[in-house]
Amino acid sequence: MREWLARIVDWFRRDRLDAELREELEFHRAQLERDTHAGDDAVEARWAARRRFGNVTRVREESRDRWSVPWLDHLQQDIRYAMRGLRRSPGFTLGAIVTLGLGIGANAAMFGVIDRLMLRPHAYLRDAGRVHRVYLQYKEQDRQITRESIEYTRYLDLRRWTTSFSATAAYAHGAQAIGTGEAARERPIAAVSASFFGFFDARPALGRFFLAAEDTTPVGASVAVLDYGFWKSDFGGRNVLGEPIQVGNITATIVGVAPRGFTGVAEDEAPAVYVPITAYAGNLPGEDGKSYFIHYYWGWMNMMVRRKADVSVAAANADLTNAYARSWNAERGENRSLEAVSEARPRAVASSLRSAAGPDPGLEARTLVWVSGVAVVVLLIACANVANLFLARALRRRRELALRVALGVSRRRLVAQSFTETIVLSLFGFAAGLAVAQWGGAVLRRLFIGETGPTDVVTDGRTLVVALLAALGAALLTGLAPVFFGVRADVASALKSGPREGSYQRSRARGALLVAQGALSMVLLVGAGLFVRSLEHVREKRMGFDADRLLIVRRNLRGADMSDSAQARLGRQLLATAQNIPGVESAAWISSVPFWTTSAVGVFVPGVPSTRGLGLMTYQQGSTDYFRTMGTRILRGRGFTNDDRATSPRVAVVSESMARVLWPDANPIGQCMRVGADTMPCTTVVGVAEDVAHVSLAEDAPNRYYVPIEQFRPAAGYAVMLRMRGDPSASAERVRAALQSVMPGQTYVTVRPLSAVVNGERRSWRVGATMFVAFGVLALVVAAVGLYGVVAYNVAQRMQELGVRVALGAQTRDVVRLVVGQGVRFAVAGVTLGTVLALLAARWVQPLLFAQSATDVRVFGTVGGVLVLVAIVASGLPARRATRVDPNTVLRAD
Amino acid sequence: MTPANKRDLLPGTLDMLILGTLAVQSMHGYGIAQHIQRLSRDVLRIEEGSLYPALQRMRQKGWIKAQWGQTPNNQRARYYTITPLGQRQLGLQEAGFAELLDAIGRVMRPA
Repeated sequence: MREWLARIVDWFRRDRLDAELREELEFHRAQLERDTHAGDDAVEARWAARRRFGNVTRVREESRDRWSVPWLDHLQQDIRYAMRGLRRSPGFTLGAIVTLGLGIGANAAMFGVIDRLMLRPHAYLRDAGRVHRVYLQYKEQDRQITRESIEYTRYLDLRRWTTSFSATAAYAHGAQAIGTGEAARERPIAAVSASFFGFFDARPALGRFFLAAEDTTPVGASVAVLDYGFWKSDFGGRNVLGEPIQVGNITATIVGVAPRGFTGVAEDEAPAVYVPITAYAGNLPGEDGKSYFIHYYWGWMNMMVRRKADVSVAAANADLTNAYARSWNAERGENRSLEAVSEARPRAVASSLRSAAGPDPGLEARTLVWVSGVAVVVLLIACANVANLFLARALRRRRELALRVALGVSRRRLVAQSFTETIVLSLFGFAAGLAVAQWGGAVLRRLFIGETGPTDVVTDGRTLVVALLAALGAALLTGLAPVFFGVRADVASALKSGPREGSYQRSRARGALLVAQGALSMVLLVGAGLFVRSLEHVREKRMGFDADRLLIVRRNLRGADMSDSAQARLGRQLLATAQNIPGVESAAWISSVPFWTTSAVGVFVPGVPSTRGLGLMTYQQGSTDYFRTMGTRILRGRGFTNDDRATSPRVAVVSESMARVLWPDANPIGQCMRVGADTMPCTTVVGVAEDVAHVSLAEDAPNRYYVPIEQFRPAAGYAVMLRMRGDPSASAERVRAALQSVMPGQTYVTVRPLSAVVNGERRSWRVGATMFVAFGVLALVVAAVGLYGVVAYNVAQRMQELGVRVALGAQTRDVVRLVVGQGVRFAVAGVTLGTVLALLAARWVQPLLFAQSATDVRVFGTVGGVLVLVAIVASGLPARRATRVDPNTVLRAD
Repeated sequence: MTPANKRDLLPGTLDMLILGTLAVQSMHGYGIAQHIQRLSRDVLRIEEGSLYPALQRMRQKGWIKAQWGQTPNNQRARYYTITPLGQRQLGLQEAGFAELLDAIGRVMRPA
């Protein structure tokens, strides 16, 4: 081993070693001359010495063997040979490098995103394979629900009633205003149990982490640990231990600083500050802060566990599920309306810390996995194309290769040379791919992670390794083609045949590659078509409101303990102020923002035994102008008026779906529903509104009702919706400033256009459509170029035959039909195979689509048509050349 | 010096001889050849054609190190030095060689 290393090192400095040896031998001979025949005739002495010394050349050659490494020599030769070959056909080389670069780059960039979202273990996390997040699953009206967030009380239950784990921790991420006065900024924070830091091999950069005694119910100690970056940027990295820091409504003492690069288990931005989870929860105003560890109604945090080494995941899940069932029964003790365990079948699952790799990854993560698959397919198509180019060249060089075999070059060397060529090409492709990934990665990350920071593809080891593997895989795939089909040429027949004889041969391999490319392109383009149609459906879908000119204003009380009446007063004040801001068309005071928060309370309706089983019924509280502001149409009856005051009879507006579900055969107007309990007074239905999407865009039958905020819980009205006359983004800051002036003390408002929220909701379809189209078009272009290359090559090879045909009276039309027919046959075969593949994949893609069948005949038909059309164009160009065949010239040539 | 006095080396002994020579002190190639020839009273004559390839091989194995230096006559020459790894190798080879001689002796002069 060591000797080989030395030999390789010597190989690299062999020129110097040669020179040194020559000098050494020179010296040896001089010494010999001097010693053997001192005093004799000088000429005689030299000859004698030379005789004694023997054959200098032999000595040198034998020594030189010690630093010649034959395979290194061969490799060097092969690389030179490959480079020369590549330089000789720059068009081919450039085409292959660009094709491979795009394929490799696409994969590297996608891997970068997938890695960030799903794979990469968190920094400092010890033995990451045994650390899991606990997810809860149960059935609700035949639907499987997966929850990532759990209640603190549940965390205590699961911790108490399981034995599979050596450690458990609770954590929650959120945004809190940090600092006081003007310097206060909303920052991401993490509330963590004292056990949290024990999951990591991290030593605090300063001070210490939390003690168990600081993390106790009901209220934990007001201490804080700072993020390293935050400590550097906001405290200049000075000794901050013992200093106070305002985190939300907690005035905490800084006890430590996390080490550099520590982000806990944050999925995106690192928290700026860590506080004990019981300090965070225990300091919350109102009921939440007093009962978070007793009741089960507030699921707000996450639980992580470290599995004992001798416990399998399955055993841990069984243990967790048992504990969850017990906990479920405990919850049922305080909430009788909860389904029985036998009905809901609660399950607790220990799975990935990253939710994108958890049991319910969400639409975006699933789309992402598909898009990564697409990137792999693009690379495969690129490989097929490059392999095809190589094959064409190998066929063209059949006689040359045969000659070399005849001259004694071993086939192994030929294979090695061919592989060297593809590897060199792939390494260039790798370099090009890095450039693509560097640039494309930034775009992808913005698309998927919503992050605009600089990308670090080139410095990220994991991505580099994947890109390199992709490049080597591509080299292997493309290198195999000439090995299998090129070198096999029979020496004798290849040498005997002239360039004319037998030189046109259909190559099965090339045909198969073309069909495969066509099929893969078909699959990608069908995917593109489906996602584009989905996106159109999503865009066209009436959400039940008109998001374009809306601004959402949320107030944040920073946990200030404000009485309900004071909160209601503040809400009214914000609404009144908002209505007077120039440019505001109308404003409404609301209790939940679409896609953000939702509230549901049981509804009791005379004549309906139980509304349970009719679907979740969510509600919205709104002020008088609610429907006008949102742009939600009232279909029957009326919306709210100024007469719907706290003291007037209770009224409600129900959604179309809810009206249909509750009163299928009766007029909903004037019906009585009791909200919250069947002992509540009647709330009279006064109107029916169109259905709206509130929880997600994909909801089918949203049961939703609206109540005047003044008649319900005005204190819960934490947001104001403003309909602007012009572009809402332009006036956002002006609105914020105006409303901020009303906010007391440390409290503040945030303003955001609703369209931004809606766009976020549409993201998975937009991403799917964008990426599938980009990759699909890329695949189509690559495949078309490949087809063109093959058909053009065939035409060139068939000139002879075509000449004969023309001489025998074939018309231009016949020639064109002959050539184009070939291209079209490839395309049709590809489309057929691709259709089968796409139909097989349809089942899995279906859930990612929006109101779009994955087997849509129109999409399949259009894409198939496009492919055939492209095939006609790609083979039409060579066909035109074929029609210009002059039999006179062609038949006389050679 | 007639060819009759020359003895062929037993296979594998060249390395040992060189290492043994270098164990005394660092030497250049010519010096090694001379040293072996002198101590063996001209019986062992190291062919230059095997000396230099052997030196390169042993250098690559890490048994000896090569360094350019000055001879007493102020000429540039490459000096070879034994390494700790070479010392260990020398020990092994000496033991092996002693065993071999012993075995041969027992065969040739049965007790």
